[in-house]
This record gives sequence, C-alpha cells and structure tokens, in this order.
Amino acid sequence: MFSNPTRSLIGAGKRLRVPLSARWQSTPSTPNATSPETKTASPAESAPISDTQATPTTNPEQPAEQRVKEWSERLGALGDNARLPRSVQAVYMRPLRRKAEYGLPVCDLQLRSYSVENVEFFADFAIRAAYYLNLPVSGPVPLPRITERWTVPRSNFVHKKSQENFERITLRRLIQIKDGNPQAVQAWLAFLRKHAFYGVGMKANVWEHESLDVSKAMDQSASEVQKTLEPHLSQFGQRQDNSSGNNIFDTLDSDRFAERKTARA
Amino acid sequence: MSKMASMFRPKRLDLSGFVNTRLIRDHNKRNAFEQTEPERQALRYMIRNTSLPQRVRAQAQLQLSQMHAYTRPTQIKNRCVASGTARAVFRDFRMNRFQFRMQALAGDLPGVKKASW
Repeated sequence: MFSNPTRSLIGAGKRLRVPLSARWQSTPSTPNATSPETKTASPAESAPISDTQATPTTNPEQPAEQRVKEWSERLGALGDNARLPRSVQAVYMRPLRRKAEYGLPVCDLQLRSYSVENVEFFADFAIRAAYYLNLPVSGPVPLPRITERWTVPRSNFVHKKSQENFERITLRRLIQIKDGNPQAVQAWLAFLRKHAFYGVGMKANVWEHESLDVSKAMDQSASEVQKTLEPHLSQFGQRQDNSSGNNIFDTLDSDRFAERKTARA
Repeated sequence: MSKMASMFRPKRLDLSGFVNTRLIRDHNKRNAFEQTEPERQALRYMIRNTSLPQRVRAQAQLQLSQMHAYTRPTQIKNRCVASGTARAVFRDFRMNRFQFRMQALAGDLPGVKKASW
C-alpha cells in the first residue's frame, strides 16, 4: 500500500533525466539552461524506463573526454612531433641548481606572504633566476610561520561573551646564495624587484667579503677618503656667528621663543 | 587668557578619507608636536642639566610649562582612521575593533581570516 507512491516518485526522477542527457549530447549546455528542459519533460515520459537507466551515466562523459586531455598527455603529444625548447621544458621540471664550490653565504633573501601559492611560486621563480645568473642557491627553507591572532567582541560591550577570532599567518621562505659574485647578486636582487610578485614581500641581507689584507688597502685609501671628507669636516664645530650671544637668557628671549609668547596671548 | 588652538590649524584641510572634528584635532596636535619637538627637548635638557645655574633652569621650566598644550606628546591619542573612534584601536591596522571586524569579514584586510583552532 505505502510502497507504491514512493516507487512512482523514483520512476519520475529517472524519467526526468532523459531530456537532459539528450541535450548534452547535442550541445554542451550550461547549468543555467535547466528551466526549458524541465518543461519538455512531460512528452518524454512515454519513453521506456529500461533504456534510461543505462544511458545517462555513460553518454555525457564521452564527449568531455575527447575535448580536454590531461596535461601529461598533451605534453607527450607535443613531444611526438617536435620537442619543446629546453628552457620551456625546464619550466615543467624541478628548478636547476648550480653547485656551490666553497659554500660561503653571500646573500639571504627572505620572502614573506599570506598565501602559500604566491610565496611558493615566487621562491621557485627566484631559484630559476639564480640558476641563469650562475648563482649557487640553497633553499627555499620554510621558516616558522608568524601567527597573529585578534579576538574581537561581536557587538557592544554588553555582549562581551560572544566574541570572534581572527588570525593572520605570515609564511616565510629563506633563499640563500652561496659564494656568488656580488655584482651578480645585485643583478639578481634587482631582477626580483623588477618582477616582484603581488602579495609577496622581500627582505635581503647581503654580505661582502674582503681579502685578508684589508687593513693595507684601507691604509692606502685613507688619504683619498680624507680629501673627499675635507669639505664636510670643515663645517664641523661651532658656528662662527654663534659667539655673539653667549648668555642663555638671550636664547630664551630670542625671536623664536618670543614668537611663541605673542602667539599665546 | 585662553590658549588658542587655531594657530596649529592649517588653512586648508590636510586630511583625506574619513574626517571628524576630533580626528582633525588629533592631527593638529600631532603636527604641533612635530614642529616644536626640538624646542621642547632643548628646554627639557636645560631643566635637567645640573651644571646650569638654578635661575636658568627655573626659567626653562617656566617656558616649558607655558608652551601650548597641543605641543605635548601626551595629547596624542590613536584614533580609528575609518570611524574616528578613540577606543579599542588596533595599532596594527589603525582601526577600531568594530571596523576591524567588519573589514576583516569583508576581506579588505590582506591575510586576515576567521580563526578557529
């Protein structure tokens, strides 16, 4: 008695699918276009139920497979006829790296962002750029995340019991350049600044190394440095025209202070 | 003798965004403090310098106390840039807690999300 109405409902649901599948085979319809198809459902009810059970599951998927292939397939197909340029192929591979000869750190670059994708992408970009500038790189090292949290009452002071938590997580990546040419490092940093990625901050510590006889070189250049500093050092000391008013009362009663007095009145 | 605050008021409004009388007043105080800071520091130095004669130090004290209230750093109060409120202003966002919440929920503050842990 009670099972009959439920069965008929299920049947109706199955029958409703028939026109939908027919439409998909002919034209790829958007989900918005369901309203005219529900209208056409009533004449299609006469269609046999046994056919509809199998068709709607298999048919709509076949044309979709033909149109869009997986990335690997598409790349493989490209390789059949002519291979991609090496530099383009490298984009799909892990970034190439130079080997550090001495392992002497020259530059520390820290990347910061609130989103993982941005910082990961830009770290990858920076490493690739370093490879082409002949700079040995280590990293990206994921540094500890900085989590800031704020708790805010949802409404007025009275409803202090109902609060809301907000947080901001800063993700950091460290990229270290080892024994690179200082000029190349500067070029690398300039390149990264030129192609700065949105939502990614950069901070760089650069170290310069000198040979062991720095003191000798500094002694030699001392005289030249003194010459360049002379005009600046001549300005150093008390002003000549300052000697007139030695008394501190004069400064207190000076124009500048008097100005304030008159303005106050 | 009333001390005029108008001398610290610029001829043209030099603020943009949300503007409020109290916000403008606070802005003027900040400007006044910035302009007179060296003078204040000089006077403070004279007051504390024990090598100076007592009379000079007393005079400097007087001068300092007679300077306009707007030149005092203690007059400066952080205010919300979006609503002008002086209470519960986050230093990180220069914003009131309520404005912070609304803007965070709207997604206007980069990286700020609802937290649950």
